[in-house]
Amino acid sequence: MTTDRPPIKWSYMDHWRAQGPAGPYDQWQSKLAMKRFLQQVAAVGFDAIDTFDFRIWQIFEQYGSVANYQEFVQEQGLERIVNTFHGVYYSPDRYAPEVPATHPTIIEDFQHTLDMWSGIQLDNIIVMPGSRFFDEAGVSDDGLKHAADIWGKVGELTQQYGVNLTCHHEFYAGIRTRDQIDRFYSYADPRYVKFFVDTAQHCIADVDPVGVYEKHHERVTGFHFKDTRHKDTNDDYRMFPDAEVSATTTEKWFYEMGTAEGLVDFEAMMRSVRDHGYTGWISVEHDKADKLGGDYAESTAISRWYAKNVLDGIYNEKVTR
Amino acid sequence: MSDVRWAYAINQWDTNIDSFVRKREHERAFKTASISGFSAVELTAASFGAWEPLGTPQQITDLYGSLEGFREVLSACALDAVSSYVYDPSVGFEVEMGRGPDPLNPESVGEITRTARWFADALRRLGGSVLVVRAAPSAWQTGPLSDEQIGVLADLWDTVGEAIAADGIALGLHVDFLSALRLGDGIHRLLAATDPAKVGLAIDTAEYAISGIDPVAFYRQYADRVVHVQLKDARATVDEAEASTPHAEQFIRTEGGARKILRWFYEPSDERALVDFEGFVGALAEHGYRGWIVVESDQSPHPAESTMVAGWYVQKVLRPIVEGARVSA
Repeated sequence: MTTDRPPIKWSYMDHWRAQGPAGPYDQWQSKLAMKRFLQQVAAVGFDAIDTFDFRIWQIFEQYGSVANYQEFVQEQGLERIVNTFHGVYYSPDRYAPEVPATHPTIIEDFQHTLDMWSGIQLDNIIVMPGSRFFDEAGVSDDGLKHAADIWGKVGELTQQYGVNLTCHHEFYAGIRTRDQIDRFYSYADPRYVKFFVDTAQHCIADVDPVGVYEKHHERVTGFHFKDTRHKDTNDDYRMFPDAEVSATTTEKWFYEMGTAEGLVDFEAMMRSVRDHGYTGWISVEHDKADKLGGDYAESTAISRWYAKNVLDGIYNEKVTR
Repeated sequence: MSDVRWAYAINQWDTNIDSFVRKREHERAFKTASISGFSAVELTAASFGAWEPLGTPQQITDLYGSLEGFREVLSACALDAVSSYVYDPSVGFEVEMGRGPDPLNPESVGEITRTARWFADALRRLGGSVLVVRAAPSAWQTGPLSDEQIGVLADLWDTVGEAIAADGIALGLHVDFLSALRLGDGIHRLLAATDPAKVGLAIDTAEYAISGIDPVAFYRQYADRVVHVQLKDARATVDEAEASTPHAEQFIRTEGGARKILRWFYEPSDERALVDFEGFVGALAEHGYRGWIVVESDQSPHPAESTMVAGWYVQKVLRPIVEGARVSA
């Protein structure tokens, strides 16, 4: 039995590397590379892509405008660009959510960013809500309050563009533990500060992704469905510059969902997503899939196979309440 | 079910004797083919015992318990079948990397027929329908085939075709760009000498294109003999003299000959090179082709990428041509 609810749509977060005759390249290095990338994503049944907003300059240079780039995406059979991830250097003297003196700069940055992306309609702009903290103490409670305050203001701004401001918690980020996440959202205005659940990042930080979703589901506006085979048991989150690439004990943190020995319980996650009435887009991500001999194309195929053959069936089950 | 079914040849994953051995690797390839829009896979006969676990029915059975057990794995990966097996009689299965009987020796008929039936029985149990065979040795080994040699091959393939028909499996003669049959009018003479009721043709678009044969025109000429299609692309041709280079498999196909062409075969895509795929599948539709269309790259540094790019092209361009023609008909 199935529900009358529209099916989940699947978007692919556009991490990619491939091997060419001259060595590794990514899809932003030529239009031909981009076409092949998009065709692969479309071939396995993804409906759309997500991207990073630091690609804006390559988009302008290669496609002329964001709208033109989205048309190029659509020509390969994908619906649109759903989300963008905001990449910015955090620094307490210039740009840090925990430091009120830098908040005018943050507001100014988002005003500028949203103007540049206004040629298309995004659902979410995704941010890391906290700066890096390399010591065990982590962000202070006042820091969490300041961060909640600025993201509320930014969210109010982004909503004027019809875009949600939504927060993504890396396992190495300043707001990473369940306690930090819960306190941050307790301070943040639910109207303007949304939550973007990354299943692998939470799992690595020893946060149950289903549990944290269920606690905050009313403000969840999207997901990164990805898997991991390791938790951070060595305080790798403190590694400089980024534990995702510099941890000495774990060369590869992220795997596509559907991987063997994955730690994320996607079936439980999907049941919870279904039972809490979530509709719309789920993004699939497996950044750094090419490490240890991995292959982005194959990981993308396997993850979409899993979405189609396992998760869609769970979502579409009619549940007797 | 449509009269045309799309499969993907997974030989590009199996690059060496100790690669593509784990079940997990098989399952990842099967899932990649499935989610890219294909309903079956084509296998290639290979001889290296347990290290080539998909190379023979015996090895499949040894790894998966039984052919039926293997088919359950395919089904769990959302695939329907093994569409076809590609078998070269020069491969011997008695020892690792063994050499098989010479198809130009009339005394080889019995052994080749027994081996063909071994694969045909497996295909029947795996949901397939075509045994694709390398129809003749390489050009450098024989030169142009005499009428007597054509007669020996015709007798062989008539016998094999009749034998595997008992399993409901069709025989498709495959001609590659190094085959002796590409010299002169070899293919035409062999087709003329064989019984159409027993011996069909497997057209491989890239092999023909490299040989300087237009696959669309060739298909139109022999549409009633074609029982199997393999779609792949190529970017350079090889003339008869180059194809006749001693040990051309190594010096031409692998090393690229004097031009140092390191990759001959490409997946079908909208970056088409020598092969007019849209014209080819249009001709298939026009002649009411029924059967498997196997998409392949044979050589690919990135098997998943090749499968997915080809999958896009099939879904967005080629399949609509086939199905559109059927609807309008």
